[in-house]
Amino acid sequence: MSIEPFNRLVKLAARAFYDDVTTKGDNQPKTGRGDNRGIAVVVLDALTRRQWVREEDLAKELKLHSKQLRRILRLFEEEKLVTRDHRRETAKGAKIYSAAVAATADTQMGGKEGEEKIKLHTHSYCCLDYAQIYDVVRYRMHRMKKKIKDELEDKNTVQEYVCPGCGKRYNALDALRLVSLEDEYFHCERCNGELVAESDKLAAQDVGDGDDNARRRRREKLKDMLQKMEVQLKPLMEQLNRVKDMPIPEFGSLQAWEARASAAGRAVNGDSGSNDPSKNSQGYGGTPMPFLGETKVEVAFSGLDGKEDVKSESASTSLKVLPPWMIKQGMNLTKEQRGEVKQESKPDGSSAQPEFSDDKKSTVENDDKKKIQDEYLKAYYAALYKKQQELEEAAKKQQELSDIPLATGLSDSSNRQVGMKAKRDDNEGEDDIDWEEAPAAGNTTESYKVNDLNVEAEESGDDEDDVDWEEG
Amino acid sequence: MFFHIVLERNMQLHPRHFGRNLRENLVSKLMKDVEGTCSGRHGFVVAITGIENVGKGLIRDGTGFVTFPVKYQCVVFRPFKGEILEAAVTMVNKMGFFAEAGPVQIFVSNHLIPDDMEFQSGDMPNYTTSDGSVKIQKDSEVRLKIIGTRVDATEIFCIGTIKDDFLGVINDPTTA
Repeated sequence: MSIEPFNRLVKLAARAFYDDVTTKGDNQPKTGRGDNRGIAVVVLDALTRRQWVREEDLAKELKLHSKQLRRILRLFEEEKLVTRDHRRETAKGAKIYSAAVAATADTQMGGKEGEEKIKLHTHSYCCLDYAQIYDVVRYRMHRMKKKIKDELEDKNTVQEYVCPGCGKRYNALDALRLVSLEDEYFHCERCNGELVAESDKLAAQDVGDGDDNARRRRREKLKDMLQKMEVQLKPLMEQLNRVKDMPIPEFGSLQAWEARASAAGRAVNGDSGSNDPSKNSQGYGGTPMPFLGETKVEVAFSGLDGKEDVKSESASTSLKVLPPWMIKQGMNLTKEQRGEVKQESKPDGSSAQPEFSDDKKSTVENDDKKKIQDEYLKAYYAALYKKQQELEEAAKKQQELSDIPLATGLSDSSNRQVGMKAKRDDNEGEDDIDWEEAPAAGNTTESYKVNDLNVEAEESGDDEDDVDWEEG
Repeated sequence: MFFHIVLERNMQLHPRHFGRNLRENLVSKLMKDVEGTCSGRHGFVVAITGIENVGKGLIRDGTGFVTFPVKYQCVVFRPFKGEILEAAVTMVNKMGFFAEAGPVQIFVSNHLIPDDMEFQSGDMPNYTTSDGSVKIQKDSEVRLKIIGTRVDATEIFCIGTIKDDFLGVINDPTTA
């Protein structure tokens, strides 16, 4: 039950249909600075990395003005891509959301404490609605194609006839009066000349020549357009077909999501202390406790985030960064984790490298036996080999891999830069923002050939290998 | 599309019908007058199904005729744009073919016939696919979609298309 194919669908659709959406009115002149085309793509991309998110937070993270963001989100709401929820709440109410966010370890944690206000504020939340997105995109493609095809085939048009003799025009609705008994043609009422169908180009040349040429040109243009559309939207179509039979990720309403996410978070992290009081005093999301049994299921549900939770837990017990080889050996590797691991070295290779070597040195020193070292090396190479194979397979099999490094790897790196505790690995702090915008903006320029993302992924894989080899 | 509606009409009745059977005479005259007619507003009156009520008669000066306002229920048929109909082909020519769906005449012009169907002239003009598997000729039954209607005060004429999914010949007279 992966969310990734759907995220890819969203990204493709964003680049295909919302690439040149601007929040400005059309009457305003587009200066270089004020031109914010492509911002819609950035917002949608950011939403693929989140579940429910408060719009203020999203604006902050994207370094957008909240009004600007809201305008874009309203557009998406009209287009039925996102669901939004507005509610008046106190700072405590906001806490529920924060707790839920912390539980999924998906969006940012910091900065919430400063918002302790007693006043009621209307907060807006938004979330991608994958089920509807799938339908909307499909419907949109269908309409586009049908419109062009109908026009191309002259469907639903009333055929017109022209008398070459006197120039009188008729249409198909007059057919009953025009039919003659002698032959199988229509005849003019006035001069009894033989009528010709107007779209019959060569025959009607003397009558409506300019009109006809225009029509022919139009036809060619339409055909061209249809062809172009099919070529350019092919990746999107393929992605639609790919997700056709997959279970669609569903976050539910805001309240339901909050309740579930925080409950799941507690179950995984095992800390019921911090989130509980606020929750109980508020009594907002119903009774969270009885859910404990089911929450295991919900972890799997949240896909990417759940897995990260597992990882963060294990990381928190040892309180240090797990070296990549340990993850590889011990765990049943998922793509997400691999993507994470892969990316660790890439954005800030300099900072990551010393850490690894430190770890390794310590183990070597402690054991101080050649045998263990050998074993370690053997296992390491075996794991490395296995991983390479897997990588190849994965790269071959699915392109979705490409999406993940963008989403997860970055946050990892930011962690280390900031120097916070390693366990909050998906803390999308302010540091991310540049990263968030950069890849998205880059992609917008190349329309929707998202295949390029794949290249990136492979590169990053190579990078990682390099680093490892140095160590070995 | 068929509708069951209530219409009203002023019936003039000759004095010789006055008597025991006045009502029966009135109804039979109404049926004779109305059934099969076409009004642009309601479409073709297919059948009268019942009399709602007969108002008070008014004797005309001079003639002795009596006018009764009669309310009656009837089934009407009115074709609409976009409607799918089944029709019998009545005439095929180079410009297309004509078909009838009950009282309605429908013309399907040759550019609204699928491109793979070619006109074959001769004794029995027809439209045939290149492999000869489908043939439209007189008395074929076709399913078609109405794409335009001309509604006059007393006449309705339609043009249709068979260039769409699930349209075309549904029963071939030669094989039946």
